[in-house]
Amino acid sequence: MTRSSTEMTYLEAISDGLRESMRADERVFCMGEDIGVFGGAFKVTDGFYEEFGEDRVWDAPLAENAIIGMGVGAAVAGMRPVCEMQFADFVACGFDQLVNVAAKMYYRQGLAVPMTLRLPSGGGFSGGPFHSQNPEAWMLQSPGLKVVAPATASCAKGLLIAAIRDPNPVVFLEHKHLYRRVKEQVPTGLYETPFSARTVQAGERMTIITYGAMVHAATEAAQSIDGVEIIDLRSLCPLDTAAIFASVEKCSRVMVLHEATRSCGIGAEVAAIIAESCFESLDAPVMRITAPDTPIPFSPPLERATLPQPDQIKEAIHELLAY
Amino acid sequence: MNSSPTNSSNAGDDDNNLVEVTMPPLGTSITEGTILEWRKAVGERVEMDEMLLEVSTDKIDSEIPSPTTGVVEEILVAAGATVDAHTVIATIRKEGGAAPAPTEESRAALDEEAAVVGELPDEMPSNSEPIDTVVSPSAATPPSAEVDAEPRRRSRDRPPISPVVRRIAKEHKIPSGVLAGLAGSGRGGRVNKQDLLSYIEAQKSPPMPTRPRPVLHTESPYREDGAPAAPDGLSLMRRKIGEHMVESLHTAAHCTTVMEVDMSEVEVARGDRYTYLPFVAAAVMHALIKYPALNARFDGDTLVLHEEINLGIAVSLGSDGLIVPVLENAHEYSVAGLHARFRDLAHRARNRKLEPHEVGSGTFTITNPGRYGALIATPIINQPQVAILDIEAVVKRPVVIDDAIAIRPMCYLCMSWDHRALDGALAAQFLAAVKAFLERGQFGA
Repeated sequence: MTRSSTEMTYLEAISDGLRESMRADERVFCMGEDIGVFGGAFKVTDGFYEEFGEDRVWDAPLAENAIIGMGVGAAVAGMRPVCEMQFADFVACGFDQLVNVAAKMYYRQGLAVPMTLRLPSGGGFSGGPFHSQNPEAWMLQSPGLKVVAPATASCAKGLLIAAIRDPNPVVFLEHKHLYRRVKEQVPTGLYETPFSARTVQAGERMTIITYGAMVHAATEAAQSIDGVEIIDLRSLCPLDTAAIFASVEKCSRVMVLHEATRSCGIGAEVAAIIAESCFESLDAPVMRITAPDTPIPFSPPLERATLPQPDQIKEAIHELLAY
Repeated sequence: MNSSPTNSSNAGDDDNNLVEVTMPPLGTSITEGTILEWRKAVGERVEMDEMLLEVSTDKIDSEIPSPTTGVVEEILVAAGATVDAHTVIATIRKEGGAAPAPTEESRAALDEEAAVVGELPDEMPSNSEPIDTVVSPSAATPPSAEVDAEPRRRSRDRPPISPVVRRIAKEHKIPSGVLAGLAGSGRGGRVNKQDLLSYIEAQKSPPMPTRPRPVLHTESPYREDGAPAAPDGLSLMRRKIGEHMVESLHTAAHCTTVMEVDMSEVEVARGDRYTYLPFVAAAVMHALIKYPALNARFDGDTLVLHEEINLGIAVSLGSDGLIVPVLENAHEYSVAGLHARFRDLAHRARNRKLEPHEVGSGTFTITNPGRYGALIATPIINQPQVAILDIEAVVKRPVVIDDAIAIRPMCYLCMSWDHRALDGALAAQFLAAVKAFLERGQFGA
């Protein structure tokens, strides 16, 4: 049965995934700052208040710990809350409820926490240090949380629907800079995208393992270069190690690329498991291209110098190929 | 040629953003290249993929793009020099973020490492490429805003074998000596995965037919524009002629036979109108028809006789070199016809106006440098022919005829011939036929 599709931006796809999930399952409800009457800071929940009412679209006070804490409680009681931090950076204010309560509840008390936490993340628009971060590594260091980061509109919708249905707490990193810049044909109705990697383009000379906004930067950088494979991880926990290993064994030269800062990021994790499991497939040291260990600047030229750019990635590709 | 970037005086600087430019292998069977021209000078900025230099092999000229954006730091090999593929020929300081300023303690550490690095050239084997950098400064310095530079290894020997190369070599039971001897296309001559896989593939398939021997003619290459002179004064043509001469000596089993000829009949016939050359050419063709083994070439091990006689006549181009224009089907011409055709060919040869079919199709070559008075020479065969005839000076001498002394214009015909194709007896018989034709005098001119 071929599914109909329609062109949607990344933002519209997220909105559509949430709306369809709420229509299909009355246990699903939303909590966040300005998501109700205002329709959301980025308009993801525009029209939701009108369609689903104030019982299912909660305008929360400026209290991230409360948002996540209440989400945990609702989830444990049988609901499917979709909590939003207005900016991913603010998850720091709700961190205790996320990593100590939500993540560990099942281990401690055998209670599932089927909660989804939406984090609008990433920079590239002069948001400054409090509005531009990619904090996935904080969550990845907390066992018990799943973490996903879509790069395309159709992946965003499918991953969100799957996250809502997942009995585990799932952190959903939606990259703000992709909201309106990425659009494609997205299937209508309900569908799930698995928590696994996808191959953006196949190659055999080297592979770029990446996710989120950097998938597009990598594609642009590799445009005129032959033989570059690009893997979009999509899911950071669980990590699709089979896809990673297969790509490394084929290509033997690896670049791990992410917008998040360098030290102890997902790049470090991927590099480590490659060294552990694919050592004999490596023809060059694993290369990491990331933002440096610095807060994200507000100033546009400084921000450009901080976040990995296609030119810089292209030069790194040449360097790796020449090794 | 061994280049040692570690010899440079800035070995103490942070070399994390110094990019090496190497002579690329310009073809699978090409192992060296000649730098024709540097497009950028030291201190000039160059963009990635912008043309940096032009290199030449004996088959093609190529423009080489810059591997990075930055400023040319050092040119290690000058224009005109020929180096092996993978030799480092220049360095470029990559732009996009200066290296972080070293602290006091890291500066001391750098100086210490520079001292160690400075010792390396004495110890390295002569054709290795050191992987050059200094380990980046300690973590106390602020991170750079550019692409994170990874500390690269200092290597004292050949570049290391990567894990995948080692594994594949082991799986295919390739001895480490063989592995060490492979040419690598990775940085610094490193054998990378693809190099090894290509080698393994080549071993599997039936042996490649030896690449066709480049056609060796003393007249090639023939360039309209006149190649730029190399710093040692040899034009490109001169060097190519030299290479082909050497290869001819390595191919044929050269012997030279000398026959003395009485040129009095030729003197009478030529008068003021002709030189000796058309008469000798006519005699040669008469003899080639009688002894076709000298009008032949080797096809592998088989001697293939030519059906036509395409006579090449060597023409001097002054200090640039020489060229051998070819008169096709020369046996169809009379002495007068030969004379006219030779003059035309020589004139057009000196003015670089030869047609393609007039260069390279020869089956036998005659060279005649005799006007300077040399008596005997041992010419080098013009491959892929099997013989070449040199007419030296005609000198009046006292000779014995019918037990009396007479004065005759005598000339030595010196023929070098390939002992793979014939032996001395046949060479002598051929020359005897040439001599007989010239001394008989009925040229019908």
